[in-house]
Amino acid sequence: MNSFFKICLALTLVVSIPAISIAQKTTKYKCMVQMTNYVGEGAYIAVSLIDAKGAYEKTLYVMGSDKKWYPDLKEWHKAYKKKPTNISAVTGASVTGGDRSVTVLDIETDKINKGYKLRFETAVEDNKYYQKDIEIPLTTEGLAAKTEGTGYIRYVRLSAN
Amino acid sequence: MTISIWRYSHLALAVSSFLFITLASVTGIILSFKPITEKTQSYRSKDFDKLTVAEVISQLKKSYIDIGEVTIYSNQFVAVNGTDLHDQSGNFYVDPATGKSLGKVGKENAFFQWVTTLHRSLFLHETGRIFIGLTAFFLFLIATSGTILIIQRQRSFKKFFGKIVKDGFAQYYHVVLGRLMLIPIIIISISGTFLSLQRIGIIKEQKITHKVDFDALKTVPKRMVSDFKVFKNIPLSQIQSIEFPFSEDVEDYFTLKLNDQEITVNQITGEILTTQPYSNATLLNNLSLDLHTGRASAVWAIMLAIASANILFFIYSGFVIWWKRSSGRIKNKYQSDQAAFIILVGSENGTTFRFARAIHEQLLKNGKTSYIAELNDYKIFPKAKQLLVFTSTYGQGESPANAKKFISLLEKNPQNHSVDFAVVAFGAHAYPDFCKFGYEVNNLIAHQAWAKPLLEIHTVNDRSPEDFNRWATLWAQHSGLQLNSISKLLEAKPIKKQQFEVVGKTVSTHIETSFIIRLKVKGRKRFTSGDLLAIYPANDHRERQYSIGKIGKDIQLSVKLHGGGIGSGFLYNMEIGQVLKAVIIRNEHFHFPEKVKTVIMVSNGTGIAPFLGMLNQYGEGRNIHFYCGFKDSASFAIYENALQTDLPKLTKLNIAYSRAGEKQYVKDLLAKDATFICEALNDGGVLMLCGSLAMQNDVIDWLENACQQFSKQSISFYQSRGQVLMDCY
Repeated sequence: MNSFFKICLALTLVVSIPAISIAQKTTKYKCMVQMTNYVGEGAYIAVSLIDAKGAYEKTLYVMGSDKKWYPDLKEWHKAYKKKPTNISAVTGASVTGGDRSVTVLDIETDKINKGYKLRFETAVEDNKYYQKDIEIPLTTEGLAAKTEGTGYIRYVRLSAN
Repeated sequence: MTISIWRYSHLALAVSSFLFITLASVTGIILSFKPITEKTQSYRSKDFDKLTVAEVISQLKKSYIDIGEVTIYSNQFVAVNGTDLHDQSGNFYVDPATGKSLGKVGKENAFFQWVTTLHRSLFLHETGRIFIGLTAFFLFLIATSGTILIIQRQRSFKKFFGKIVKDGFAQYYHVVLGRLMLIPIIIISISGTFLSLQRIGIIKEQKITHKVDFDALKTVPKRMVSDFKVFKNIPLSQIQSIEFPFSEDVEDYFTLKLNDQEITVNQITGEILTTQPYSNATLLNNLSLDLHTGRASAVWAIMLAIASANILFFIYSGFVIWWKRSSGRIKNKYQSDQAAFIILVGSENGTTFRFARAIHEQLLKNGKTSYIAELNDYKIFPKAKQLLVFTSTYGQGESPANAKKFISLLEKNPQNHSVDFAVVAFGAHAYPDFCKFGYEVNNLIAHQAWAKPLLEIHTVNDRSPEDFNRWATLWAQHSGLQLNSISKLLEAKPIKKQQFEVVGKTVSTHIETSFIIRLKVKGRKRFTSGDLLAIYPANDHRERQYSIGKIGKDIQLSVKLHGGGIGSGFLYNMEIGQVLKAVIIRNEHFHFPEKVKTVIMVSNGTGIAPFLGMLNQYGEGRNIHFYCGFKDSASFAIYENALQTDLPKLTKLNIAYSRAGEKQYVKDLLAKDATFICEALNDGGVLMLCGSLAMQNDVIDWLENACQQFSKQSISFYQSRGQVLMDCY
């Protein structure tokens, strides 16, 4: 009886998730990624929403359109393969060394200040992979500041659009 | 010697890289359609060239809440990355004049992306790039060595674009297209090499960083973006991209990538903060990309596609030439010091070897010891009784590659006993220096103390089996040998005969019978006046050729009946309605020059045949002067009727009778009009000659003199320009 109840609850949750997410209010954030002057091919960058436990919750943007290179973004790709979503609307061009890329991220307003993080994961062909090139806490301050990168990204700036 | 070095490197390079080159060309052809398809969607503004940055930015600000970057593609499409008034963000093509959105920037076509990767790196990443880079460099070397080969073939840099004599489809077009495609191919290969070097990292990419002094940033005077002086002065056409300031903070600035430099601009005051010129590597990289991808111009992209397709043709034709050449390789049963018959061959591309080998095999069949080698392999042959030399002439009277060393070897290695020798020179009348090297070799050998001439030098025109057979028969008689079916050995492939029906025949009443016979082609075959009809009167290897005049859709031959002539007798006995088997042989060098205004036709006897056809086909609207020679008016009578209808097309008809009236030859008629003829040649006119060899020699001798006197030019000057065409027998 107990387990039946649990299953029912789980089912209702699963069914209602899409409904909830459609109703979700989002805020647009302008996001600028400035790359370092590294030498090599264009970098593939995945921007993901990470929950408080450190798990991938949502793909916000992928810079790099050729699916062939997605496995290079190891951890993100693992999560993405497990739960594939349609990312064609949030896919853009890869970014080469020294360049900057300005994109717009749609972030659900009620996720802010709840312990979520934005993760910028980077990979370059025949080169190193950075799982956490940058992680920005999804807080009001974090969304207004400039955050320095640790890999191919020099810094990321965000601002409410 | 040097020819060989360049030829071998041309070949070696091609052989070692042709697989990669094939792949790169095929993918290159596909990729050239990318800029072409992009160009067909027109997002380019008409006012593109007139607009300045200030105008464009102020227009864009009206349609977009926020702009991240404006990019101007090489095809002059303008794209904005930003958010528009309807809160839609992304990349949009815009009309820079109005700021209106024209449509979203599409994803790159996955197929083109796939082909691009294959073209650049064969899906092998770094390793693949190195391979492709090397391939591009090899292509450059192949093109360079090819250029040198053409220069050597043409004998001088000035004649680079001069006429090329046609000898075989593959070879002719390899050279002709090679000249035309040279520049695009060199551009493709250099730019490709450069791009690979940069990709691999051998040429360092320039990384620009702007060091803006944030403490010195001014916030006054505040100006509107449309009033910024820099923006007003820079036309849109000089821009690659404009990065907009990320926020309104003064520490964020505009970054403009121009064609030659990058500048940063204060977003409040509009003053230039920093300037960074591009390095030469960056500029060259941009140029290489433009040239290699054709991204800037659809016309150039089409050119690139054509050039790539040609590379494929070069690979094909190059291998055909190589195969033909190497099929002339030598195998010997007897060593050089055992053989009584020594056959030495000078051949540029192996055709002469076919003839030499035919003789070689005949000797072996007769139980003789025969040794065949290249002229360069000349040495002392202790048991030699006969030395047979078969040689062609390369370029303008030079020796072929495998005969370069012969002359010096001949001096150094005198034979220790007397040897009979004979020279057969191969060449084509289309070349001004007909068989020149053969004559030279013949003279040199004749001067050797040990040399005893067996036969006079013989020439073979245009690989003619007829010519060669004549020599072979004579030689066999002198050497007491039995010859059988030489021509079978010479035949490259069996000839496919066609059927022809006799539809008309006019016989002259003259004592020396000649006649005009008309044949209708059964089935389809394209031909024109000046081509040859080969008939096989006895249905064996014996072949007789007649010059064709095309009248309407029929073939018209004029034939003189020789007593015991198998060809003429055979045709003479054909009745209307009967069918014979024959082959039409294309005879390009004696086709009517359609683009030429003044044509002088010279014939004697039955040599009139092709001209009758030419008058019928092309007579209208030209200056045609016809000089023909006959024995007397009776032998002309038969043609008089045939000529009747086309007579008005002639500017002038001159007839010489050699046995009646003034008793003159055609040459005498020409001599009377010497000034006219030399002037006509000088003005680009063409002289065509058809008839007996005796007449040809007469006329050419006279013409050589006349030209020397009139214009200080040798007749070979006009011959090499295709202005003196001959078809004599």
